[in-house]
Amino acid sequence: MPGQIQDSAATRAARPRESPFALGVRRILRRPSSRVAFFVLGVIVLVGLLAPLVAPYNPSAQPDIVRLKDLPPSFAHPFGTDPYSRDVLSRVIYGARLSLMIGVLATIVSLTVGVAYGAVSGYAGGFLDAVMMRVLDAFLSIPRLLLLIGALVAWPRLSIGALVVFLGLTGWFGLSRIVRGQVLALKHAEFVTAAHALGASRRRILWRHLLPNLVSPIVVASTLGVAHVIVLEAGLSYLGIGVPPPLASWGNIIYDGADQPAALWWMSLFPGLFMVLTVMTLNILGEALRDAYERR
Amino acid sequence: MTAPLLSIRDLHTSFYTESGVARAVDGVSFDIGAGETLGIVGESGCGKSVTALSILRLIQPPGRIETGSVIEFEGKNLVTLGDSEIRDIRGNRISMIFQEPMSALNPVFMVGDQVAEVARVHAGMGRRDAWERAVEMLELTGMPDAEARARQYPHQLSGGMRQRVLIAMALMMKPALVIADEPTTALDVTIQAQILDLLLDLQKKIGTSILMITHDLGVIAETASRVIVMYAGEVVEQAEVDELFAKPHHPYTEGLMHSMPHIGHDQERLNVIPGTVPAPTEWPTGCRFRERCPYSWDLCEREHPPLYQIGSGHISRCHLAIEPERRNNPHPPLVVEAGVAAA
Amino acid sequence: MNGTEPLVSVRNLRKEFPIRKGVLSRQVGAVKAVNDVSFDVARGETLGVVGESGCGKTTTGRTILRLIEPTSGEIRFEGRDVRSMGTSELRALRRGMQIIFQDPVSSLNPRMTVGAIIREGLTIHKLAEGAAADARVRQLLQEVGLRPEYSNRYPHEFSGGQRQRIGIARALSVEPKFIVCDEPVSALDVSVQAQVINLLEDLQRDHDLTYMFIAHDLSVVEHIADRVAVMYLGKIVELATAEDLYREPLMPYTQALLSAVPVADPHARKERIILQGDVPSPANPPSGCVFHPRCHHPAKDAACASIVPPLEEKTPGHFAACIKQPPTTVSWEQQREVGGVHPPERYLPLAAVHA
Repeated sequence: MPGQIQDSAATRAARPRESPFALGVRRILRRPSSRVAFFVLGVIVLVGLLAPLVAPYNPSAQPDIVRLKDLPPSFAHPFGTDPYSRDVLSRVIYGARLSLMIGVLATIVSLTVGVAYGAVSGYAGGFLDAVMMRVLDAFLSIPRLLLLIGALVAWPRLSIGALVVFLGLTGWFGLSRIVRGQVLALKHAEFVTAAHALGASRRRILWRHLLPNLVSPIVVASTLGVAHVIVLEAGLSYLGIGVPPPLASWGNIIYDGADQPAALWWMSLFPGLFMVLTVMTLNILGEALRDAYERR
Repeated sequence: MTAPLLSIRDLHTSFYTESGVARAVDGVSFDIGAGETLGIVGESGCGKSVTALSILRLIQPPGRIETGSVIEFEGKNLVTLGDSEIRDIRGNRISMIFQEPMSALNPVFMVGDQVAEVARVHAGMGRRDAWERAVEMLELTGMPDAEARARQYPHQLSGGMRQRVLIAMALMMKPALVIADEPTTALDVTIQAQILDLLLDLQKKIGTSILMITHDLGVIAETASRVIVMYAGEVVEQAEVDELFAKPHHPYTEGLMHSMPHIGHDQERLNVIPGTVPAPTEWPTGCRFRERCPYSWDLCEREHPPLYQIGSGHISRCHLAIEPERRNNPHPPLVVEAGVAAA
Repeated sequence: MNGTEPLVSVRNLRKEFPIRKGVLSRQVGAVKAVNDVSFDVARGETLGVVGESGCGKTTTGRTILRLIEPTSGEIRFEGRDVRSMGTSELRALRRGMQIIFQDPVSSLNPRMTVGAIIREGLTIHKLAEGAAADARVRQLLQEVGLRPEYSNRYPHEFSGGQRQRIGIARALSVEPKFIVCDEPVSALDVSVQAQVINLLEDLQRDHDLTYMFIAHDLSVVEHIADRVAVMYLGKIVELATAEDLYREPLMPYTQALLSAVPVADPHARKERIILQGDVPSPANPPSGCVFHPRCHHPAKDAACASIVPPLEEKTPGHFAACIKQPPTTVSWEQQREVGGVHPPERYLPLAAVHA
């Protein structure tokens, strides 16, 4: 047997085979802050998913707009009621569902466009890359919020679907830059040259070799992206151009109580609190992911 | 017998990592005399670089020099010195040349400034004086056009020139000891020849001792007067250079010498040391080279070999010292489980 | 090897990389990485290519495989013109010509299992599928000295030497005839180097392979190569059998290179040819003989700065590019015309010879 390699038993570190993904997850969960964040986020997500089972009241029900409106937090209504006598707790719970869903879907849209744009630009290189990047620069120079407000004011009363699309289409610029940078670096990695030498087509190299190695920065950017969209959506709803009533989103609830912010303090505190928690946990996890994958 | 310049006794440096405690340097002792060139040779993972870094207390957490280690230099124990005292020694009494000149130089400062800084910090020289001295030093290292080069930045210089800058920095204060950690590994062969020549030349002029760390036996043969071979965190052999090459005792040294191709020696097949180096988190019991050794027997598994005296100035960590006839009966390498390297 | 066609044939190969400056990236110059290189590789032989950084050896290797597109020149594999091939022909060609890389870390995709890495060639060229492909992967792993169970593992779980073996298995998977070995052992420890070198030699014997072995370590090249080409600044400056080259290096650069190799023998002669200065930039090579500014030949003169020396046969089978080492087709009259003052004379310093 030519050159049979024999390693000492001692080098067999007895760790079972581990994909790079599993390695990353293990590293993240090692940190106490990440474990807490994971748990808290998990609870919020679960609550949102199980909203119909968990919410005590129908979020749209307006049982008695004379006597049950504007009630401060009580046993019957732990988060109080709003000017339409709807239970704020139920609305916050349904709000979790909607806000998270919008966050995730919009990020998926951003991801798809951003990764495609960045990967093509980076892989093609040369003139095409230069042109695509200048176009991107033009997009990047417009503040996202302004863009959104402009679009949404032009088309008021949008459906959720359209809102998601708009949010998604304004959020891919930074990600495509990141992806392009990674692709540029990876293009010259020797394993890419090796695939080329084996006869792999450009498409195969893109799908099999480049994209899988982009997963880490994409996952990190997405996690932080979801947090960003949640905040944006809340802001837009607060301005009255986001999620259309009577649907409940965290921003909507704050909007409903915006006329008397001090008197109806529970209408900004509770949705605000949940938003802060969600965004913080997403950020913590995003950073932990970034640290975990970069250490390799 | 004059007192040694530097004396290391029982140095233990360990790294406390997620995968366990890596005992990178596990009980190393040796002396360096004034004006001599001591070579440390070994492959990756043997602990030679960590030893060098330990001397200058450059070990960062999770690494730690264990208590009980003694590094005696000019009457002090470097291991227990205070921070400002050890800083006084670095670059001044003991200096270091690294393998990768590009990473050792600051890319945003002119190289002349970086060399001059050594004098400004340690000798309190003013800017102008330090600069002049720096240019002198660069000339001494054979840098052509030293005055002009001193005004350039690291990225504008070639690898060989950058290494000359590092050497100039290391020798600015005429230290008693220069630690050269693989100083020529990243350089082309003809440049390597220039640099090694330069180091030996400067050593004669300034009278410093050199601790030459390398994996290249050829470099050792050309520069060192005494050699230490390290394996798995320990010293496994030590001898004068002529003796080591003529009569290597430890099977690892032997194996290393025979696995290198030599120009002019026609070899059908290179001799191979089977297996790989064990992981520093799990040093085997008994002799650490046992599983890869063609001569080992049951004693080697039971007892970790001490350093035996083989000849004058020649020690070896191998039980063959007490049963030399076993060298006549080599056996096939011990069957070991092929495994994977520790992640 | 006489009379049979060479497996690989290269003529007047050039590769230039443009230097661009300015906002519009206009080309202001060119780096002549490979500058008129010609050689043959016979079937079954190992051609060693040595030189220091910037000499163009890696670029030459990759250009032959058309991993980098050559600027000009002719490349033939089994007599067929490689440069004019279209995409599908080129893909089929890739089965015959493969490459092994220097860096064990970056040459394997960290997100693919070892099995997937080795199987890729089989998939691309439709050589085997499913269970047959798995069997072939296991067989290849065994051939390079790794256990077949490793195909489920990821590259980061292996040591440098093992990763190189995986890279070799990958190259072998498509049953190539010719393999460019681009510094395959430079990044490995000495004892691991020996293992991999022995493996490469065994595989060559078992599969009738032809190697182009690129390295900067002269002792390794002497051990494994049949013939050796020495490159400097994009040109081949000497080409001979390993034995001839090491016993009688004719080109002064080769002499300096050989004398610079540290010898693992404390008693060996310490006299050495020390070259002055650094390797000039390939963007701005010296005129005439590219080595002349650093040359130590006693007959060096102004002629060397004007005339580009042809790579010519000095003794049978031994080629060198030096107009001062006789015999030379550049006549003394020609040399005198451009300022030559020293006639050619044989010079072989002892320091360069490894007995």
